[in-house]
Amino acid sequence: MSDLRIGIASGTTGTDAVAIDDRDRLLATASVQAAGDVRGAIAAAIRAIVADDAVVPGAVRWVMLGSGQALEGVAAVQGVRKVAVVRVGGPLTLSVPPLATWPSALRDAVSAGEIVVAGGSEYDGRAMVALDEDAIARFLDGVGDEAQAIAISGVFAPVSPEHELAAADLVRRKLGNWVHVSLSHEIGSIGLLERENATVLNAALGGAAERLAVAVRATLAEVGIDAELFFAQNDGTLMVVEHALRFPALMVASGPGTTIRGAAHLSGVGDAVVVAVGATTSYVGALVNGIPRERTGPTEIAGVRTSLRLPDVHRVPTGDATLAGAVEDAKAAQPAGPLVVVGRGQWLVPDRMDGVSEVIRPRDGEFAQAIGAAVGSVSGQFARICLNRPDTRRTVLEEVRTAAIARAIDAGAHPDTVAVVEVDEAPLTYLVHPALRIRVRAAGPCW
Amino acid sequence: MPKFRRVKDMLHLDASNLPALARGCSVLGAGGGGDPGLGVVMAAEAIKRHGVVTVVKLDDLDEAAWLMPCGMIGAPTIATERIWSGDEGTVLREVFEDLHGGQVAALMCFQIGGANGLLPVSWAARCGLPLLDADGMGRAFSELQQQAMHVAGVSVSPVALTDGRGNTIVLRTADDVWAGRLAREAAASLGGVCAAAICGMRAGRARHAVVEGSVSLALRLGAALRAKGLGGVLDALGSVLAATLLIEGRVVDLERRAGDETLTGSVTVRAGSGPAGMRQLRLEMQNEYLLAFEDGALRAAVPDLICVLATESGTPIAAEELRYGQGVAVVAAPAPAIWHSGPGLALVGPRAFGYAVDYAPVDGGMEAHV
Repeated sequence: MSDLRIGIASGTTGTDAVAIDDRDRLLATASVQAAGDVRGAIAAAIRAIVADDAVVPGAVRWVMLGSGQALEGVAAVQGVRKVAVVRVGGPLTLSVPPLATWPSALRDAVSAGEIVVAGGSEYDGRAMVALDEDAIARFLDGVGDEAQAIAISGVFAPVSPEHELAAADLVRRKLGNWVHVSLSHEIGSIGLLERENATVLNAALGGAAERLAVAVRATLAEVGIDAELFFAQNDGTLMVVEHALRFPALMVASGPGTTIRGAAHLSGVGDAVVVAVGATTSYVGALVNGIPRERTGPTEIAGVRTSLRLPDVHRVPTGDATLAGAVEDAKAAQPAGPLVVVGRGQWLVPDRMDGVSEVIRPRDGEFAQAIGAAVGSVSGQFARICLNRPDTRRTVLEEVRTAAIARAIDAGAHPDTVAVVEVDEAPLTYLVHPALRIRVRAAGPCW
Repeated sequence: MPKFRRVKDMLHLDASNLPALARGCSVLGAGGGGDPGLGVVMAAEAIKRHGVVTVVKLDDLDEAAWLMPCGMIGAPTIATERIWSGDEGTVLREVFEDLHGGQVAALMCFQIGGANGLLPVSWAARCGLPLLDADGMGRAFSELQQQAMHVAGVSVSPVALTDGRGNTIVLRTADDVWAGRLAREAAASLGGVCAAAICGMRAGRARHAVVEGSVSLALRLGAALRAKGLGGVLDALGSVLAATLLIEGRVVDLERRAGDETLTGSVTVRAGSGPAGMRQLRLEMQNEYLLAFEDGALRAAVPDLICVLATESGTPIAAEELRYGQGVAVVAAPAPAIWHSGPGLALVGPRAFGYAVDYAPVDGGMEAHV
């Protein structure tokens, strides 16, 4: 009997599930209306898919969950963890305190206290000043009871994470190993405020991610499925649940990424503009070399500017006339390949549009998001900043490759088949000594 | 000190108009100068704690009142990471007052374009001093000595520098080119970016040495950019900046070479299609957009401002943010008059940036064919 994968896509108006065999054949589909709570809808979708005769629970080896709403706690300001926010950067950075730009309701819900302590690195990796461990210890004494997670962000941690690692050590010595610690150098790239915001969100979302994982696992056990559980990341790749609990910010907005990858899988096309027409919202994105194109610059989650990397999609209300303009823009930026249309309302997109030579409507396109989750590869990525000198670049590139591969394996990729799939080197401008941001993504199949 | 004028009549900067100021500063950055976003957050924080910033005109000040032109030197990218302590302006003021032996009456942006249009606002709030409605460039340039004050004979030196963590450096230089060169080296030693005060002068000396009205212009521009759609934005830029639309199309070619200190490259924007209808505009850039050519003919040149706006939103796009395929409108607007003088063009004309062309007004001063 063939090993099965179940892909689940949870949206605002409904939740879909698909079952796929090891030859990528679609065996069964199920859809349930959203019944108020996300966890309930996901449970209903799982029960519906195993009710199909083609799906033998004992054959299901992997379950992949893509859920934009899974972490609804952020927007609703409920169910977030209380986070003690530590910034390592004093005496610099005091002009903008941590969380200064957050919506006040979210800030009140998330923050267990904030502190800026002396420390951090220069842009070339040298220590700026000594890390003030005493100040961190005193701060933890004050917030230790209330804090459920700690977020640590150091100036130039993407260049040199030493002070963040030392601070994390101190936290564990004082509060024990159980406490969740998010470190900014593992979360984002240059730009302290956006990286710090992403790090605090990551720390705050762990509880919601955990409750979701517990609920899904309970449902799986109830229907007799003993499978490895994966969550979809924002870029549409996958991570195993244990990894997701450490990096829940990587899955706050996985819908577009999984849908675009699903469209790629169904159409067999690597370069395309993808239009996904949902019940209430439609979006237009681009597929470049099989990967959803990312937005450059900061992204916004629940009113907070972050350095999280998200697909570059343009959203319009379904049925709105501006969709044509969004398609035209995306087509100009990605002239290669056809237009791939997926989603329930795909009939709303005409066969002829300006600048579009070919429109593909793949079979089963209405399940593109769930299918995209089910067929995704497992990936991990890592980024560092370094001076652009040949020897430094070589050393750091090797370190980043190793770290990205370790990340992908930790996220559930098979160690024997994981490989580097993307190396991105970007120069930083206006520097006296030229610097480089090196970013590597490694990926492989789940096992 | 301000003469008798009721406070409520005077222009103020507070949380309500900082975003508009930032939008205006982005346009005046002409593609460079760094993102003013962090400056908005800093200024909002400083104003929340220390009160609103009054914007004064030269006429509001005594002839003998000292002005402190200030801003940052170095890499804006680094400034978004090792964020300012907030004390920089206060430290600069102390050093400046020591150097010049007089009290500072008002701060002034030495560069209105980009991030430097906002940074002195937060320093003014913390110092409890007004900000002069003027700057040293009327836009953004990459070299410290590319100042209207330099053209007018006000020395850039002595230069006061601080890194926000207790280190200060004073440069007394042989000339203004040395000031720019040494300040850049000092910024590197101080962590890649630092705060600077230059061109110390009294209000009487400033009268024909600064670009007046820059802050209020940036505010008007920022308000104009809120107009609905690209058409509205272009109309507004036309009336506020006397801007001319050079082309509206898409980025079809983009070449960027990152050097040690400068982002150099060129970008081609195409409009229309077919042999008869197609037009192409090529922009040359070095941190800022500097030249615009169509069919080999120069349509606009530095020091005039060349700005690239997103078709969709009308928001300005920095040279480092441009993307292939993006829908854009390119506009050009005349620079402040001081830059059109002989010494002005020698300092910031095309040849100063290594291009073998002479400056010509936008579309040769002719009516634009739009």
